Amino acid sequence: MKLRFRSFFIAIFLTAGTYLNAQQAASPAYLSEEDLYNEDLSSSPVISDPFESVNRWTFKFNDYVYIKILKPVANTYQKVTPDAVEEGALNFFNNLQYPVRLAGNVLQARWQGAWVETKRFAVNSTVGIAGINRPADSMEGFELIPPEDIGQAFGAWGFSEGPYLVLPLLGPSNLRDLGGLIADRAVNPLNQPFSIIDHWSWENRLGLGVTEFIVRSPTILERYYEMKGSAIDPYSSLKNAYTQYRQGEIAK
Amino acid sequence: MYKSIICYFFAFSAFVMAADSKDPAAELQSAINASLEVVYGAGSEAKSDPDKQQAVRGVLESHYDLTILIRRAMGRNWELLKESEQEEVIDLIKQLVVKAYVKNLNGSVRPKVSYGKTIQISENRIEIPSTIVADGTTYYVTYRLGLLPSGWEIYDIVAENISVVSNYRQQLDDHFQRGTGAELIKKLKNILKNEEFDNEIKI
Repeated sequence: MKLRFRSFFIAIFLTAGTYLNAQQAASPAYLSEEDLYNEDLSSSPVISDPFESVNRWTFKFNDYVYIKILKPVANTYQKVTPDAVEEGALNFFNNLQYPVRLAGNVLQARWQGAWVETKRFAVNSTVGIAGINRPADSMEGFELIPPEDIGQAFGAWGFSEGPYLVLPLLGPSNLRDLGGLIADRAVNPLNQPFSIIDHWSWENRLGLGVTEFIVRSPTILERYYEMKGSAIDPYSSLKNAYTQYRQGEIAK
Repeated sequence: MYKSIICYFFAFSAFVMAADSKDPAAELQSAINASLEVVYGAGSEAKSDPDKQQAVRGVLESHYDLTILIRRAMGRNWELLKESEQEEVIDLIKQLVVKAYVKNLNGSVRPKVSYGKTIQISENRIEIPSTIVADGTTYYVTYRLGLLPSGWEIYDIVAENISVVSNYRQQLDDHFQRGTGAELIKKLKNILKNEEFDNEIKI
């Protein structure tokens, strides 16, 4: 009996030993400190910032405008406007951006994307009453897709970003995206040269522009505060975040 | 005798199973659920923001070593800090990150989080994609985890194409081009002193 008991324990220890050895042999290599802390990050973009001093000054100016003007405007707008109206107004202006999204898709030969954008525009503009509602969201094959713009198309064509820029009021950009922005404005139906409201008086056109600014202000501010809240250097943080975001969108 | 043999085998099997069963996706979900519970769970309304931040930090640190994320963000700048400064910088950045995390999480409705299939990048790196729906907006967040002797640890978080580690690395690289560790500590303390984030930027 004693012998059996002893041989049982020997067997157990041998099994355990074999198991642990096998585990050790099969255990994957752990990440080393060198891997973790000193590797060059593949996701870190190399950003050319030759105009840093001007950019920082513009960034500071934008920050002042966001806090002193945009924030009170956005807060008042959110306070006096029911959520449904806010959402409808934002949908309306986003729907009007259809030509920009279409051009972004077409210039990248994303025919499927261009087709989905066109179907969504048709449905939301009619059934959704001038784009105020988005019935297309719940229709199969009409679901929301990531928006494309002309700057993204330039990126897809292989144009490099060029120097990083901070635009007054508009925020982060780069030379390539500034070109894209100018082209986006050209295909926007509310702007020259193909404006559908060209016959409107300047007061009405200004009124529409200001309304769009107010409607978009809560979204702009929310994103801005999210970035600023966790930043050690908000300028550097936004520069990196903008560049990573655009590179990701272009790569999609 | 046979009973004790059976017990022994059960105990041994349990040990073997426990060694294999630490699923990194389940661990991540558990950490995020616990953080959301702090912010949105019963009695959360009564808690102050600093209390929530403290509790969330406790939850996160019970699952993961946040130092890894911060050391990775520091990169080679770590060597530019004096030994006495290193611990302080780690603690201050942890406070900043958790403060911003809780602040951004503090919406009116508890966000809905769903997780995608774990992606094996290599034998010691995985990615866990997730989708967060908060206040009608959908965000895509990917957690990058690496295998360390302590288990699977988060070494980066990518939110909407933006790597958090890369973003902090840029800020710290820019800082150390002109600044010192002592200035970084001063800057971090000033940022943390501000209750709101809408203080004008001093450049």
